[in-house]
This record gives sequence, C-alpha cells and structure tokens, in this order.
Amino acid sequence: MDKNVNSELAKRKNGIVNQFDSAYISARIPESYNQIILINPVRDTTSVAAGYSDTLIYDKLEKRHSVYRQLCFTIIYKTEIYRLRIFKSLEESDQLIVRIFLMMTILVFIIILTLLFLNRRSTLRAWNVFYDTIEKIKNYNLNSHEQFSLKKSDVKEFDELNKVLLAMTDKIKTDYFNLKEYTENASHEIQTPLAIINAKMEMLLQSGDMNESQYKAVSDAYEAANRLSKLNNSLILLSKIENRQFPESKIVDPKILIETQLEILEELLLSKNITVEKNYKEPLVIQMNPYLAEILFSNLVRNAIRHNVEGGKIVIDFLLDKIVISNSGLNHQIDEKILFERFHKSSTSTESLGLGLAIVRKICEVYGFTVQYEFKNDLHCMKMNFKANSDIQSIK
Amino acid sequence: MKILVIEDEKALAESVIDYLTDEGHLCEGVNLFSDAVEKIELYQYDCLVVDINLPDGSGLDLITLLKKKSANTGVVIISARNSLENRIEGLEIGADNYLTKPFQLAELNALLKSINRRVNYSGCNQIVVNEIKFLLDEHRVFVHNKEVILTKKEYELLMFFLTNKNKVITKMGIAEHLWGDYMDSNDSYDFIYTHIKNLRNKLLKLGCEDYIKTIYGVGYKFDLS
Repeated sequence: MDKNVNSELAKRKNGIVNQFDSAYISARIPESYNQIILINPVRDTTSVAAGYSDTLIYDKLEKRHSVYRQLCFTIIYKTEIYRLRIFKSLEESDQLIVRIFLMMTILVFIIILTLLFLNRRSTLRAWNVFYDTIEKIKNYNLNSHEQFSLKKSDVKEFDELNKVLLAMTDKIKTDYFNLKEYTENASHEIQTPLAIINAKMEMLLQSGDMNESQYKAVSDAYEAANRLSKLNNSLILLSKIENRQFPESKIVDPKILIETQLEILEELLLSKNITVEKNYKEPLVIQMNPYLAEILFSNLVRNAIRHNVEGGKIVIDFLLDKIVISNSGLNHQIDEKILFERFHKSSTSTESLGLGLAIVRKICEVYGFTVQYEFKNDLHCMKMNFKANSDIQSIK
Repeated sequence: MKILVIEDEKALAESVIDYLTDEGHLCEGVNLFSDAVEKIELYQYDCLVVDINLPDGSGLDLITLLKKKSANTGVVIISARNSLENRIEGLEIGADNYLTKPFQLAELNALLKSINRRVNYSGCNQIVVNEIKFLLDEHRVFVHNKEVILTKKEYELLMFFLTNKNKVITKMGIAEHLWGDYMDSNDSYDFIYTHIKNLRNKLLKLGCEDYIKTIYGVGYKFDLS
C-alpha cells in the first residue's frame, strides 16, 4: 500500500513541479491536507530532510490528529530554494482496506451460501430417487406379495442401480419361492409315506396274532418311523424360521406361555419331584409370532424338565427385558458352542432329537434376541435377552 | 356313524377305513376330488375325513361345499402340510379338527368319537361301558355308581382308552395324546407306566374289572372282550 501511496505522491510531485514551472499557483487554499502544499523557503537543500515519512497533523475540521504520509522535497525557483511538503491521509487508505476486505468477505459469503443452497436443492432432487430406493430396500419383505417397484430417475447411474436391484430382487424372490416350495413339497412327500407306514404298523399291532418278539419288532419300527417324522417336522420348522415364514407378529406374554407349559407338564414335574420356583418380578411382553413364542417357551421348559434330576428344581426369573430359566442337572458345565448345535444330545436322554435348542436359537436369531447358557451355583441357566427386540422391529 | 374318507393315497385310506370299520363305523373311501363331490351331493354323512391335497382339487373346497349342504356334518382334515395358515383356514371354514400326517389312527378315532357325540347325541352326556359310567359334561367317572376321583390327565387317559377299546395303543400314542408333540424321551414312557398303574389301582379299588392289559414293549389295550 505504501508503495502505491508513494507513487501517487510522486506523480503529484511531478504535476506540482510542472505547475511551478508554468508559474501558476492557485490562489485558493484547499481545506484538506490532501491537497495542501506547504511551501517554505529554505537556505539550502542540505537542511531539508527530503523523502517520504509519516506524520501527525491536527485536523481542524475533525478536531483530532490524523496520520498522514508526507513527501518532502525541494525545488529551486528563481535562485530561491523552497521546501515543499505534500500529504496523503493514511487513515483514508486504511479505511479503504478495511472496507474492501469487508466487501470481499461478504460477497464471498453470499456466493458460498447461494452455491450451497442451489447445490442442496439440486442434489436433493437428484438423490430423491436414491433415498426412495434405500427406503424401499429397508422395508423390503420377501414374504410380501406386493410388487417391488422403484422410482424412475434422470440420473443414469441411479437408473442403472435400480435396474440391477430390481433384477436382483426378482431373482431372490424366485429362488426363495422355489426353496419354499421345495421344503413344503419335501415335507408333503415324506410325511405321506410315513403316514402310510404308521397306519400299517398300527393295523399290524391290532391284528393280535403275534408273539412277543414280533410285537416288539413292529413296535420298534413304528417308533422309528414316528421319530423320523418328528425329525422331518422339526427340520422343516427350522428352515421355515430361517426363511422367516412367520411374518405375523403379536404382543405375547411369556408368563402365560410358561404357566401353560408347566400346567401341561405338571404330572411330569411331580413324577420327577421337581420343584418350580417362579419370580415374575418384572412384567414383560414381547412382540413376536405367537406360534413361535409357544415353541420357544415350550422347548425351554421341556428342556429344563428333560435334563433335570430326581428331586431337582427349576428357577424361572423375570428381570428387566430378560428371562432366565435355570434347572438343576448333571453337575458340570456344558460347552455353550455345541449346546445350541443341531443334533447335539446329552447322554442322559438318547431319545431326544437334539433340535430343541437349535430351534430356540434360530427363533432368537430371527427376532434379534440373545440366548446365553451359563452354569452357575450348580444350575444350568438359559438367559434370554429381549432387549434388542424393539430396535429390530423398528428397522423392519 | 357314516364316514366318508377322502384320501388320495390308497394305502393310507385303506388303513383308515379298516380301523374305523372295525370300530363299528360305516366307512366309505374315495381317492379323487370329483368322486368326493359326487358322493357329498348324493349321500348324507355324519363325518368327513378329508385330505387337503388331492390330485384334482383342494379338500378345502370340499368342506365349503359340504357345509353349504349340511352344516352339522363333522369334518376332520388330515394333511401333510403342517402350516399354520392351512390349519387356520381349514378351521375357519368349518372343520372340527386338523391332523398332521403322520397321525395315530387311535387319535383320529378319538376325534371322530367326540364329533359323533356332538352330531348324534347332542342331548346325551353320558357313556356307560359295563360297570364304568362317564358324565361327559362334568368330567366325572363312576364305577358301580361310586365316583372315582381322577386327575385331569387320568380322565383323559381313560377316555382315550375307551374310545379305542380292544385296540392296542402304543405308549407313544398315549404320550402324544396327553402331552402333545414334544414328548419324546424315554423317561416319559416310564412316567406313562406309573400313570397307568395309578389309574388301574383307582379303578380296581372300586371293584372294577382289570381291563387295562399291558402289551409288553408296545403299549396297552383296554380289553373288554
């Protein structure tokens, strides 16, 4: 800035020198120091500090001192030497700088804001289709029979994405329904011959003219066929849960379900002398499929009875968002990893299918519950945590 | 009781018909949807045993057709499909019960007996078998006119025996009838044994004859012969 001012002053100096040369000096005394030329006669040029410098001058109009840049120089006019001083207010240029800076900043700010606004509007319009697609995928339910359709977009990429998605969902849907059909058909095809085997065996048992070993053989075959059919049913149930084919959802009360199971199995509890301790402290309801809920608690309760010992006990605890069903049994820890595996059987009950807990875990997986096993105080505890339930529901 | 069995698997239909005929029912069997329609149009039945998946139609349509003609006829669905929707749909259009294949013939028979009581003896709530008398509505049993105090399960067990009298009933059949599908451990069979022992003792105490015969390794028989 100083340079600019200096060169400006230098220019004016040239002008003044010219004016002096033409012997013309204005009679008017300017008001502002910007235009005032102070001329003093001096004896010789050496006593004059020629050059640029800053100086304070009392401004009569504004009644205060202001900073001025001055240029001091000498000229010789008709053998007389004069010292000339000219000024330029520095305050003005300071203010100018500030003003320019402010202006620029505001301008840039306005431009940025406008750009942001425009950008947001145009992207919103363009991404609208994209967000719509995401929303639809979030809510996508294989089981629903509604047509899965996506909005058309002007953006080529989004259009392409939607096309690919549509193709993918179509493929998944057909695969899914093929699989569903297959499991149902498999169930049907296997159950019918099994029904025939069972019916024929039962008729054979009724015929009456068999000796003991023949009876035993028929009875064993009959039971094996029955087990096969139960196994088949359980596996189909597992795959149905996996395929999430139980979309219906209701509020269920675990307390009622557990009580019902205990009532059905009352005699079994009595015969084994099992005492049941119930602590329904916290009221608890779960949002899930009622049929699956029944299977879930039935499996847990029956499991607790099946693996119990003579004179043992079952403890049912309702905590906040948690249900813990504990039972006495063999006095050693069971490996949690294999406990929930399919076809894992404890040595005490060879007749069980080994699918009960696998079904429990699968149901929990589908609903986002957690189920944990723990061996504590000589009790085998199954801890169910339903907390994640509400989150899962809202995501769906 | 006049029963029509609609089942496309001939071998299964045969067994069902044999068992039910043996129980003293008048039993007819058809394998096709079209034949069943003809039979339902022409004759009057007390009960229908119907498979849902028939080669030329759905058993559910047969039930709708039947209910239009005579709403009081009993219906038992036997289906290989253990799907909840099917079950609910069947019961909604008027079926009395839904059995999933494979089922116990004794169980089917017990269901038919209770339907029979509803259809034919709606006023009567008493069954008398020799010295045993049942008051069905009150769930009470008398032997020589003296009441036997039975638990709920013992009562159900005795009913199950009576509806399948002179038939061999397997331990598994009993377990399933009393405790549902999940009873599949060996312990429960021992448990049935003690249960039957208790029932037998209660009956014998009041001078009832020992009808419950043990068929070793297989099950039991309520022998009236």
